[in-house]
Amino acid sequence: MATMTEWLRDPSPSSRLQARLGQSYLAWLRMRRNPLAMVGLFIILLLLAMAAFAPWLATHDPLTQNLGQRLLPPGTPGHWLGTDDFGRDIWSRIVYGSRITLYIVTLVAVTAPLLGLMIGTVAGYFGGWVDQVLMRITDIFLAFPRLILALALVAVLGPGIENAVLAIALTAWPPYARVARAETLTVRTSDYIAAVRLQGAGSGRIIWGHVMPMCLPSVIIRVTLDMAGVILIAAGLGFLGLGVQPPTPEWGLMISSGRKFLFEQWWVATMPGLAIFIVSLGFNLLGDGLRDVLDPRSSGK
Amino acid sequence: MTLLSVKNLRVTFDTEAGKVEAVRGVSFSLGRERLGIVGESGSGKTMTGRSVLRLIRPPGRIEAEEMRFDGIDLMAASERQMRALRGQRIAMVMQDPKYSLNPVMKIGAQLTEGLRLRDGMSAKAARLKAIEALEAVQIRGPERVMEAYPHELSGGMGQRVMIAMMLIPNPDLLIADEPTSALDVTVQAEVLSILDGLVRDRGMGLIFISHDLRLVGRFCDRVLVMYKGRVVEELEAKNLMNATHPYTQGLLNCLPRIGGNRSPLPGLDRAAEWAE
Amino acid sequence: MSMIEIENLSVHYPAKGQLVRAVEGVSLRVGEKDSFGLVGESGSGKSTILRAICGLAPVSAGTIRIGGEPVPTPRGRAFSRRVQMVFQDPYASLHPRHTLDRTLSEPLAIHGIGGSDARVVRALEDVGLPAAFRFRYPHQLSGGQRQRVAIARALMLEPEILLLDEPTSALDASVQAETLNLLNRLRAERGLTFLMVSHDLAVIDHMCDRVLVMQHGRAVEELTREALAGAQMKTDYARTLFEASADRMLGS
Repeated sequence: MATMTEWLRDPSPSSRLQARLGQSYLAWLRMRRNPLAMVGLFIILLLLAMAAFAPWLATHDPLTQNLGQRLLPPGTPGHWLGTDDFGRDIWSRIVYGSRITLYIVTLVAVTAPLLGLMIGTVAGYFGGWVDQVLMRITDIFLAFPRLILALALVAVLGPGIENAVLAIALTAWPPYARVARAETLTVRTSDYIAAVRLQGAGSGRIIWGHVMPMCLPSVIIRVTLDMAGVILIAAGLGFLGLGVQPPTPEWGLMISSGRKFLFEQWWVATMPGLAIFIVSLGFNLLGDGLRDVLDPRSSGK
Repeated sequence: MTLLSVKNLRVTFDTEAGKVEAVRGVSFSLGRERLGIVGESGSGKTMTGRSVLRLIRPPGRIEAEEMRFDGIDLMAASERQMRALRGQRIAMVMQDPKYSLNPVMKIGAQLTEGLRLRDGMSAKAARLKAIEALEAVQIRGPERVMEAYPHELSGGMGQRVMIAMMLIPNPDLLIADEPTSALDVTVQAEVLSILDGLVRDRGMGLIFISHDLRLVGRFCDRVLVMYKGRVVEELEAKNLMNATHPYTQGLLNCLPRIGGNRSPLPGLDRAAEWAE
Repeated sequence: MSMIEIENLSVHYPAKGQLVRAVEGVSLRVGEKDSFGLVGESGSGKSTILRAICGLAPVSAGTIRIGGEPVPTPRGRAFSRRVQMVFQDPYASLHPRHTLDRTLSEPLAIHGIGGSDARVVRALEDVGLPAAFRFRYPHQLSGGQRQRVAIARALMLEPEILLLDEPTSALDASVQAETLNLLNRLRAERGLTFLMVSHDLAVIDHMCDRVLVMQHGRAVEELTREALAGAQMKTDYARTLFEASADRMLGS
C-alpha cells in the first residue's frame, strides 16, 4: 500500500498513465478532506450498487400485482416500505427504479454536455458569424423554461423513455454551451494556443485537444449540479405521463400514481419522493466538492 | 535614531505539503536612511516587507523576537493599532499600479478619499492637497490627472500617482516593493529620481525591495542580500562591488553588459554550501 | 541571402472602436544564421512584428519574405517547419493540463513525424532538463525550467528561424543568464537565425549582431553591435534608451 502511494506521488512519473493517475490521486486527496462531498459520493455509489444488485436487493418482483395486499403501510412484514395500489412492493419498485433513473441520468450526462461543449468551444474559438449563429440558437433554447420545452418535444416525439432522454438532453445543453464558450474566450488568446497554432495544428485539433480540456472541469461541475434537475425533470415527465410508461417502476411515475392516495396512504408517493430527494442531494454535494477539486482557479492554492 | 528594528523574523506557511519557511530569521535595523533588500524570486524579500505591516494572510504566520517601529511593539500591537499605522506612518508602494488602484474610481477621488474620511478635510482643501501631491511627483497637468481613471494612465504615470497617494499622509517609513519593475527603463529612472528626492527632502526611512542588485546599489545607502529566506550578506551600497559572498558576486556578474564580451554568462552555483 | 526580409510592414487593427497603428512602415533584413534584435519600450510594436510574421497579427501593408519567398496566408505547415517562436511568459505559454511529453510530442504528431519517444527525450536533454521530467506537468516546474521546455518545443520541428519574444524578461537574473547561454549554444550548434525582441538593451547587445531601436510603432535607428558599444547613435531616442540602460549597468 505504501509503495502504491509512493508510486502515485512520484514527482517524476515514468509514464503517461502514472502521471495521470498521480494527478487524480492528488485530486482525490483534496476531495477527501471535504466531508460533504464524500457523503455525496457515498450516496451516488449506493445508487450504483442498488442498480447493479437490484435482483438481489429486491424482495419481490416489481411488476407482479397482488390485489389482496394493496396499500399496506410501511413496516408490514415482507413489505417494509409498504405496497402500492396494485399490491406491488414499494421497496422493490424503488430498487428497480434506480436502474431507470441511472439510465436517464447517464444518457443525459453523456449527450448534453458533449453537445454543449462542442457548440460552445466552436462558437468561442471561431468567433464572428459562427459565434453569432450558434449563440443565437442557444439563446432560443434558453428562452423557454426547460420543462415546457421538454414537454413540447415529448409531445411531438411521443411518450417513452428514449424520447424523454432525448427531450431532456436537447433542453439541457445550452447552459453547457454558454459555460464552454466563456472558458474558450479566455483560453483562445493564450500563448499556449498561439504556440500550437504556430506548429501548424488545424482548428479541429486545437479545439479538441487544447481548448476542450480547459473547459471540461467547469462543465463537469455543472453536470453534477444539474443531475438533480435532470432527475426531477425525468420524474416530472413521468408524473405527467409523458415519460416512462406504466407499469415500469420509474420514481416520478410512482409519485404520480400515489397522488390519489396522498392523504390516506401517504407512503405510496412519499417513498419514491424520498429516493429522488436523496439522490438529488447526493449529486449536488458531489458537484460542490468537485468544484473545489477541479476548478482551476482554486487548484492553484 | 533607530526607526525600525527587526530581530529574528520568521514567516512560516503551513500548507498541505508541510511547513514552508519563507523567511528564516532575518534581522535588521533602519534609521532615516534608504535600505535595499535584494534577492531573486522566492528569497523572502517581499514577505519581509509585508511582515513589517503584518500583512501576511493565513496560513502564513509571523514570528519575531522583536519588531519595533518608533517605540511601538509591532508584534504586540492590536489589529486596530496596526490599521492606524498602515498608510499613516508606514506606507507601501507595490509593483504594479494596475492592481493597486481602484479601476472604477477617478484618481482624484482615490487621492482625496483618505483625507476627507480620515482627516475630516473639506472637499476643497483635500483637492488642493492632492494636486500638491501630484505636483510633488512631477506630474504635469495634475487637474487633468485628477479627473482620469487608472486605465487612462500609462504605467509610469500610474506608479507616480501611487507614490503621491502614499506620501500624502507624510509617513515616516516607506516600503517600496519593486516600484519600478513594471516600468520601461527610461521611465524607471524618472520615477526613481522622484522617489529619491522625496525621501531625502522629508527625511523618511525607505525600504526598497528589488531583484536588481545594481539598481539598489546605486539608489540605497545599505543593502541586504537575501537568499531562500535568509540574509546572506549585509553591506554598504558603496562597497557593493567588493561584495565577498559568492551569491552576491553571482548576482552582480550574471547580468550581460553593453559592450561586454560574448562568452557565456556566469551562472550561480546553487549546490554550494551556503545555498542549503 | 536574407533569411527574413520585412519591407514597409504596417500592422493596424481595430480595438474598442479605434484603429490601433501598432507598427508603421518598418523594414528590416536578417541574414542567414544572423542574430537580429528589436529593442523598444512597451507599445513600441516590437512584439507585434514577431506576431505579424507568424500570422498572429494582421499585416495591413508591406511584405514579409522568409528565405526570399513571401509568406503565405494562412501560414501553413511548411512555414511552421521553418519558423518557430518562444513566448515571453513561460507560465502562460505551456498548456497547464498537458504533460511535457504531450507538449513536446504534439508538433511531431501534427506533422506526422515518427519516433516521438526518442525525440522527446533528446529534446529535453538538449535544453538541459533531465529525462525524468518527461511526464511532469508545467506547474511542477520553475519559471526557468518552463522556458527551457518552451525552447525545446520550438526546436522540435527543427526550424531555421527562431523568433524570441522577450524570452527572459520574466526570469530571475541568474536564470536569465542560464537561458541566454542555452540560446547561444543552440544557435551555434544548429545554425539558427534569431530575431529577438527585448526591452533590455544589454540582453540584446549580448545576443545580437545588429539591433533596431523602435518607438511608437516606427523604426528609430538601426545599430551594429560596435556602434552600440561605442555609444555612436544618431537619434536622441536611441541615446536616451542607451543612457537609461548604461546608467543601470555602471553601478554606484
